[in-house]
Amino acid sequence: MRTFKNGFILLGIPLFFSLGVIAQDSARISGDFKNTPFEQFVKEVEAQSAYHFYFDKAEIDSIGITGLFSKQSLSTVLEEVFRNTSLKFTIDHYRVFIAGNYQIKTLPANFFDDKATADDSVSNIIKPAETDIRNQKAISSIENKLIVIGVKQNKAGGKATIAGYVRDIKSGEPIAGVSVYIITPSIIATTDQYGYYSLTVPAGRYEINISSIGMKDTKRQVLVYSDDKLDIEMQDFIATLKTVVVTSERRSNVKGLQMGLDKLNTKLIKQIPVVFGETDILKVVLTLPGVTSVGEASTGFNVRGGSTDQNLILFNDATIYNPSHLFGFFSAFNPDVVKGIELYKSAIPVKYGGRLSSVLDVSVRDGNVKNWTGSAGIGPLTGKFSIEGPIQKDKTSIIFGTRTTYSNWLLRSIPNTAYSNSQAGFSDYTLHISHIVNAKNTLYLTGYYSKDQFNLNNDTTYKYSSSNLSLKWKHNFNNKFNNVLTAVANHYDYSISSSQNPVNAYKLGFNIDQFDFRSDFNYIPDNKHNISFGISSIFYKLHPGFFDPVGSKSLVAPDVVPAEQGLESAIYLGDEYTISPKFSINAGLRYSMFNYLGPHDVYEYVPGIPRTVSTIKDTIAYGSGKLIKTYQAPEIRVALRYALSDNNSLKLSFNTMQQYIHMLSNTTAISPTDIWKLSDPNIKPQQGQQLSFGYYQNFNSNTIETSVEVYYKEMEHFLDYKSGASLVLNKHIETEVINTRGRAYGIEFLIKKLSGKLNGWLSYTYSRTMLKADDPLAGETINNGNYYPANFDKPHNINFIGNYRFSHRLSISANFVYSTGRPVTVPLAVFTIGGVPSLYYSQRNEYRIPDYMRADLSVTLEGNHKVKQKIHNSWSAGVYNLTARQNAYSVYYTQENGKIKGYQLSIFGTIIPFVTYNFKF
Amino acid sequence: MLSSISKYLLFIFITCIIFNCKKPFNPVPLTARTNYLVVDGFINTGLNGVTTINLSRARSLSDSTYDVLPEGNASVDIESSSGDSYPLQQVSSLAYSSNPLNLDINQKYRVHVTTSNGEQYLSDFVTVKQSPPIDSVTWQQDNGVNIYVNTHDATNNTRYYRWDYTETWEHNAFYEISWGVKDHIIFSVTYVTYATYTYHCWSDSNSTSIILGTSAALSQDVISKQLVRVIPNNNEKIGIRYSILVRQYALTPEAYQYWGIIQKNTQGIGTLFDVQPSQLHGNIASVSDLSEPVIGFISAGSVQEKRIFIDHLDLANWSPPPSQLYCPIKNIPQNSNFLYYDYPDTTYVPYYFTSGGGLNITKSYCLDCRVQGGTNLKPPFWQ
Repeated sequence: MRTFKNGFILLGIPLFFSLGVIAQDSARISGDFKNTPFEQFVKEVEAQSAYHFYFDKAEIDSIGITGLFSKQSLSTVLEEVFRNTSLKFTIDHYRVFIAGNYQIKTLPANFFDDKATADDSVSNIIKPAETDIRNQKAISSIENKLIVIGVKQNKAGGKATIAGYVRDIKSGEPIAGVSVYIITPSIIATTDQYGYYSLTVPAGRYEINISSIGMKDTKRQVLVYSDDKLDIEMQDFIATLKTVVVTSERRSNVKGLQMGLDKLNTKLIKQIPVVFGETDILKVVLTLPGVTSVGEASTGFNVRGGSTDQNLILFNDATIYNPSHLFGFFSAFNPDVVKGIELYKSAIPVKYGGRLSSVLDVSVRDGNVKNWTGSAGIGPLTGKFSIEGPIQKDKTSIIFGTRTTYSNWLLRSIPNTAYSNSQAGFSDYTLHISHIVNAKNTLYLTGYYSKDQFNLNNDTTYKYSSSNLSLKWKHNFNNKFNNVLTAVANHYDYSISSSQNPVNAYKLGFNIDQFDFRSDFNYIPDNKHNISFGISSIFYKLHPGFFDPVGSKSLVAPDVVPAEQGLESAIYLGDEYTISPKFSINAGLRYSMFNYLGPHDVYEYVPGIPRTVSTIKDTIAYGSGKLIKTYQAPEIRVALRYALSDNNSLKLSFNTMQQYIHMLSNTTAISPTDIWKLSDPNIKPQQGQQLSFGYYQNFNSNTIETSVEVYYKEMEHFLDYKSGASLVLNKHIETEVINTRGRAYGIEFLIKKLSGKLNGWLSYTYSRTMLKADDPLAGETINNGNYYPANFDKPHNINFIGNYRFSHRLSISANFVYSTGRPVTVPLAVFTIGGVPSLYYSQRNEYRIPDYMRADLSVTLEGNHKVKQKIHNSWSAGVYNLTARQNAYSVYYTQENGKIKGYQLSIFGTIIPFVTYNFKF
Repeated sequence: MLSSISKYLLFIFITCIIFNCKKPFNPVPLTARTNYLVVDGFINTGLNGVTTINLSRARSLSDSTYDVLPEGNASVDIESSSGDSYPLQQVSSLAYSSNPLNLDINQKYRVHVTTSNGEQYLSDFVTVKQSPPIDSVTWQQDNGVNIYVNTHDATNNTRYYRWDYTETWEHNAFYEISWGVKDHIIFSVTYVTYATYTYHCWSDSNSTSIILGTSAALSQDVISKQLVRVIPNNNEKIGIRYSILVRQYALTPEAYQYWGIIQKNTQGIGTLFDVQPSQLHGNIASVSDLSEPVIGFISAGSVQEKRIFIDHLDLANWSPPPSQLYCPIKNIPQNSNFLYYDYPDTTYVPYYFTSGGGLNITKSYCLDCRVQGGTNLKPPFWQ
């Protein structure tokens, strides 16, 4: 228990606050409060009277006081204030103790004599848990201790930089996105993905406040002389329900420069009901405004009108080419090892590049550096397991997670022989080691392996796998300047094989090898500038296809599409400049260059006429390592923020992007047969630019965030395909593609509440994505060269995610999704040719499938929260697609008994109940 | 702490999942004009080749019938790149045929159509692509009977193929007939006089799917065991004897692509990764309005064909289901002129004379296989 005087007030001025103080009466309280924060209320009461309050800030954080009191006794007032809470108060003369769920029994005789030992009072309280109290004690005492930063210097004044890591006290895991701030003067820093912060202040004495989502607020008393490090440990916030979110983080929506950014941590992701109860990171991403997918069973996603290959999916800096398992039913990331995700939709940080639409950064947790712990989960289709712990306590930790499926029973139960004769399997493994070499150096090693194999109807076998290994070295030169060196090796391959007919038995496949090297610097000279710069280089080696005979009888001629090599390099510089508390700018320039390298044979076409095999003019052979073609372009990243007040702000961002690697897919969803291709002399890089504007407003003491963002986006050299294009094993893809231009625009509304018993978000998006294919070199146009909707153009989208906690142990979650049906090309006429009735199709994407709508519900029951207990278990049960609506995944037409019939196919066309069991140890 | 995991490893799952649901999808009302001209044919450059072009109109999907809507009274010509013109004559409601021609295979050809309302349509000039002979047509009993075609081109030039077929099968009437009736007079029929012997019949039908194959991915231009026809198990078509005539056409890559789109657009079965249907871009256009959709892709070349026979006796465990015909037999008294027949219900015909006097009669469809379709004239190729 500790006293609290001020601290909240200066950071944010409460919203609905008015106070009419009447006469000064030491025992009677007057005032008119309208949702006034408790701390403000205390201040007023303390000002009016001789009362002095003792309480834990965290316990009263979310209490707002409303009421008109006129010369009433404090006990009457407090009874009123605490009526609907579990808080108890005790008035002892002029001392007021607010004690959460504890009941104060007696006060020791020497309690008030020695304030420094006030923490000992907890021994007189019925304890919830020993370790909790211990941590709390440790934290409380360190909060009041004066820490000397640096060494005393003779010259007065000057500035000093405090920097260090913020970690979880229990696991030692670094915490990203923590606000570290001083109230006067107003200086705020936020920890980076490694939990690192840097704060520059004039020499002097300060109270540093530290706050983060889901963590208990803490503070440090510091006396700053010169640069020094200050590592901070924070405590998890499991025991208290009343508050979850900390003000400064809540306000980051309004205050932060970033726009078009969605951050989700795994805790939140796990609350959302998904099909088969399997926590799925990408399915949650799909509920964010501006993110859509073509269908239910596809983890490929579209961000603000971009295609599925325009998203850079990073798993601890490793590039993931196929983020899904099992036809897209599951995403390929084990939620138990994932710390959280960040999805950048518009203002893409200058350090990222290479994809047009978005960056999805999936970060892996650092393992527990203090104890060995683990978790496991069992669902109807999948099982998962993870374990983590220190290799060397407080220095080196390891985390390992794996998942696998036993879904074959489901396939066998489908009353369709094509499915029941099929087999499917997947597994993934994640290993992450972090090692603190010393205060200045930290090493991170992440390995990821994922594989899928499925066999359709005992004939064709599909396989794909991803392997990634990344090594990062973070070095702090000093408190203001640090560097992260990253090296990553990525590999992705897929294959299809069939051996039913020995004469045609084949294996078809492709693979990608990608090696990344990057060096990212961060320089924070003072609190006005945050400068980032760096270089990066990616070497690609693609085998776009090989086709090999299987068995001695096979007549299949081996065919190989020659390997492609490319080098994508970039150099960047950006500065986040806080011009004034109201106005800040983040401007950056990234210069990217792509070299298409030999050995390769390049076709040259007769200029100006449609590219076909017959217009190949020449074939030029380039030797190994020869430079074939270079593309280069500057990329601009600018974001502006202007705060209208403490609770609302305007933001504007402009981005240009380049993309040098393309996915070739003639199907509507990501399928494992999709092929990747580098830009070459005939396939230009995709270019995109996006302008977006947003208004952000927070309400109700920042517990409710709202935002409106509008965007307009243009894409050049987007690839669409000619009718019936054949992409597999095609050595001259340029004859099959149509250079397409795209434009996308939309408006996204979001209301979000992340604290309190009821939390969740509601979003509505109106967006359009139109394409125009009028490339004269294609020889054909789509829809006569007019704009037509892209496959993923779904104008109206509504997403609701809600979670209500009845108690510590019981919570219920619901979500609701609505979107316009995606466009399809439908048959218009039937005709007979070659004796066969056939179909004449409409213009591309002229019609739409029925609208999509789904509601899900789940209940999570957690075991008790005794901290000492070795195993914490939780059950969750729910239903997916509560209304059993048969949402159309796709529509198709087929010939049945001479009649052309149209069908819509639903994948989850019924209520799907599920139960999963998870436990941690 | 790891020791106690095992006792927690229990799980429940609920299996009431219907995985794959499909229901009819009725698209938006279609008001667009959809009676596009369909030009279906092949310029036959073989020896004494007869070129037949079918002209029809596309129907809206909502039409009650998809029967071919013929486009009659048009004038159709084959035109060569050197300016020669070969007219086609209308031979049926939709078919237009040339005289037997020996076209120069070094020329390019196109089709010129003028419809009865004066609209003119022209195909592109196409080069002639001669088909190599069919090596063999083989079959294999595997649940049903699978019929395959095998071919090769030693010059490796053909690469793209299309096939179609006509199948012919023999079938019998329910009862073997002994007597015929003409002008109320009963006469004896024998196997020798085909015209009146209506116990044996032959029916035929044409392919109902687009069959395409390519050797483009193979080192040699060899087509091995290309499936052309699957006859379902116990199908009555191989009740006695069955024959299939497979015709082979060589295609250009463009024509192959066109037929491939038709094949995909028609035969696509709903799967998770269906390819988007593609718009058809044939090589025929309206002279006056280039944007008017015209369906069809004209190719030129020779046609190769091969016929095989399959006997019921060649098959193992092949038992066509018994006929569902209802064949009541009535006994009527003989007339004084016992060859005179005037039973009022004309659906009955004489079956045989009973030994005790009187005539047994039965439904004519039980005695005349032609009523079930087909002809009682033995096809000339029948062996």
